[in-house]
Amino acid sequence: MLHTGLRAAAIVAAATLVGLSAAPGSARAEACTVKIGAVLPTSVDWGRPIAATAQFAVDIANKAGGVNGCKVQMILRDTQVQAKVGVDAAKSMVDIDKVPVILGAVSSGVSMPILTSVTVPAGVMQMSCCSSSTSFSRLAAEGKTKGLWFRTFATSRVQASIATLIAKEKGYKKMAVFYKNDDWGQDMVKLVVHDLKAVGIEVTAAIPINNDQPSYRAEVTKARKAKADGVYLALYPKEGIAVVREWISLGGTRKMIVANSLKSDDFRKGVGIKYLGDVVGTDTASPRTKSASAFVTAYKARFKKEPNGPGLSNSYDATMIVLLAMQAAGKDAKGPAIAAKVPAVTDPNGTPVQANAAGFKKASALLKAGKTVSYQGATGAVQFDRNGDVSAPGLVWSFTGSGIKELRYIPLKDVEAFIAKLEK
Amino acid sequence: MIGVVSYLVFFLTLAAILAIAVLGLNLHWGNTGLFNGGIAAFFGMGAYATILLGGTPQAGQFGGFDLFYPVALAGGIVASGLLAWIVGVATLKLRHDYLAIATFGVAVAFESFVRNSEWLTGGAKGLRGFERPLEAAIGDPFLFNLCFFAFVLAVLTAVYYGLGRLIRSPYGRLLRAIREDEHAAQSLGKNPARIRLASFITGSMIIGTSGALYATFYAFVSPDDVLPILTFQIWAMLIVGGAGNNRGALLGAFVIWAAWTSSGWVLARLAPVELQLYTGTIQYILIGLVIVGMLLARPQGLLPEKLVISQSGGETPRRPVQST
Repeated sequence: MLHTGLRAAAIVAAATLVGLSAAPGSARAEACTVKIGAVLPTSVDWGRPIAATAQFAVDIANKAGGVNGCKVQMILRDTQVQAKVGVDAAKSMVDIDKVPVILGAVSSGVSMPILTSVTVPAGVMQMSCCSSSTSFSRLAAEGKTKGLWFRTFATSRVQASIATLIAKEKGYKKMAVFYKNDDWGQDMVKLVVHDLKAVGIEVTAAIPINNDQPSYRAEVTKARKAKADGVYLALYPKEGIAVVREWISLGGTRKMIVANSLKSDDFRKGVGIKYLGDVVGTDTASPRTKSASAFVTAYKARFKKEPNGPGLSNSYDATMIVLLAMQAAGKDAKGPAIAAKVPAVTDPNGTPVQANAAGFKKASALLKAGKTVSYQGATGAVQFDRNGDVSAPGLVWSFTGSGIKELRYIPLKDVEAFIAKLEK
Repeated sequence: MIGVVSYLVFFLTLAAILAIAVLGLNLHWGNTGLFNGGIAAFFGMGAYATILLGGTPQAGQFGGFDLFYPVALAGGIVASGLLAWIVGVATLKLRHDYLAIATFGVAVAFESFVRNSEWLTGGAKGLRGFERPLEAAIGDPFLFNLCFFAFVLAVLTAVYYGLGRLIRSPYGRLLRAIREDEHAAQSLGKNPARIRLASFITGSMIIGTSGALYATFYAFVSPDDVLPILTFQIWAMLIVGGAGNNRGALLGAFVIWAAWTSSGWVLARLAPVELQLYTGTIQYILIGLVIVGMLLARPQGLLPEKLVISQSGGETPRRPVQST
């Protein structure tokens, strides 16, 4: 026993040493490489596809000639959804690998300390696909992010308003809300409850759903007592399946409106399509251009499945915008210079470019010539406001026997008009 | 080069912060035999209270009293002491695994509380708005990190020497007497219940100090920082380093935190592109292997407890031989 233990420890130690000594060599092998960092929860089931999509975008850019003629290398580190681990990973990339940009993280609780203690002090740009907390907008409004913070996650505000629009059209009078008890869910429920009230729908119960419970019977029973004629779900597939199964088995209404986090095959199969006929979903939409379908086509060709799952298109856009901004900022640009070039990539008056290899090539040439482009991303014609937040058109969808079908597209200006009405 | 130094300073700062918590646990477990399974709660209490007291006011958020930093820090430490007092009075009648389960429950309840009490703790989005002391005055981020590291190191040194004195003192002997045989200690006229509570509160305040420094360093705290994994990490550090030995506790903190982070660093460099997505999972396996390997190779820890003989009489007592 003792010997096995020692041997195992020796192997680990040896592997570590090999790693340490091999590191500089492998970095020098490439003649011209630009590095970007990615701090994502790769050890979590829903986090890995987000990282895979970011790497996919990098591969596309490399195929299209790279950034400023150099091959892009994405250094990927796991956060383990722990702030300590994510911050350490980000710090090592910034200090040792000298990355000018960090992609990530997913959880706001990890992105925030990275922003406050690593990227902003070091002048490194940070772009998150998926952090949803309203704290970031406030921090940016206070000027504490120095314009280095961006996120492609637009869904909370847009989705809450579209859900309200649907609920109103369906004529629901009383609604119960289930929400994931994290920063995203807590923000979402606040918006949804506010919006529903604004159009005169009563919210009879707003019930938090915690992770990893073996049963949600108590929560579901509480919602049943609230006697709602419609339900809103801001949940992720895992809890979503558990909650909806118990909800339906207790005779709850099947009239449900769900957030884009449930736009997944896992959820559809986990609950069963025969119970999901009356379910309508919301999402932020791709623009009605070829670009969006270009992303879907490219994604399907690479991964052999639909890009259904939280954060995938956001991750793709985050990576693409970062790479294009690096191209625009020129060789060896630092974080602030790259961040300053983001508007040149998302200029609504710029030349529209698609979110694929051909689009990347075209955009690279235009940006090199000092022109601006309008990146038509997988989540829409993305545009950031002063706080690094995006807005996007809305989409209504439903489940079918084989996947997901789009019901309706709501253009950005209609979404914005409706939100303005709700905010009044 | 400056980059490597800058990263090392950052790494050592966090390792030193965690080492303070390990020293606190060593007082509990290594010296008094209290199985504290709720480290995350006391760590979190220190962190949250410090940010609430020392942060700047935020719209719609309790706290932001913007107190002078040492006051906020002291407030965080006292808050963990208060929590420990309440928890201690309620649970210290329990022994060993029962105490572990009860304190673990406290930590889970604490996490749930901060996640849901949005008015008080910011809910799941966490607490921000803390200005790191002297950061604006120092200006240069590297210099700030260096100064903060020096500060953390000073606190760690103070805790280390303070605990060292305590353990060598007659009071330390009393703690170990309670750990080894409570009834025997009682028969000598000692009050184990009071001593256990005092040790529990002191250790928890040390863990709270660690939490307060952690929140200061990140200028942020959220429920994700007080998940049970933290309790596990601190325990792994103590057991690998050597329970009952403060030098072991220090060493364990640095070794485990280095293994935890460097495994990710190495994998990000070594793993081929197609495996990169799985390095997070492989990293978990490596961390587990390191801990298991060390436990198999050295169950008593890297630096085992040393027998302290404060009064030598006749024959030198010998430790029972440990079988592997």
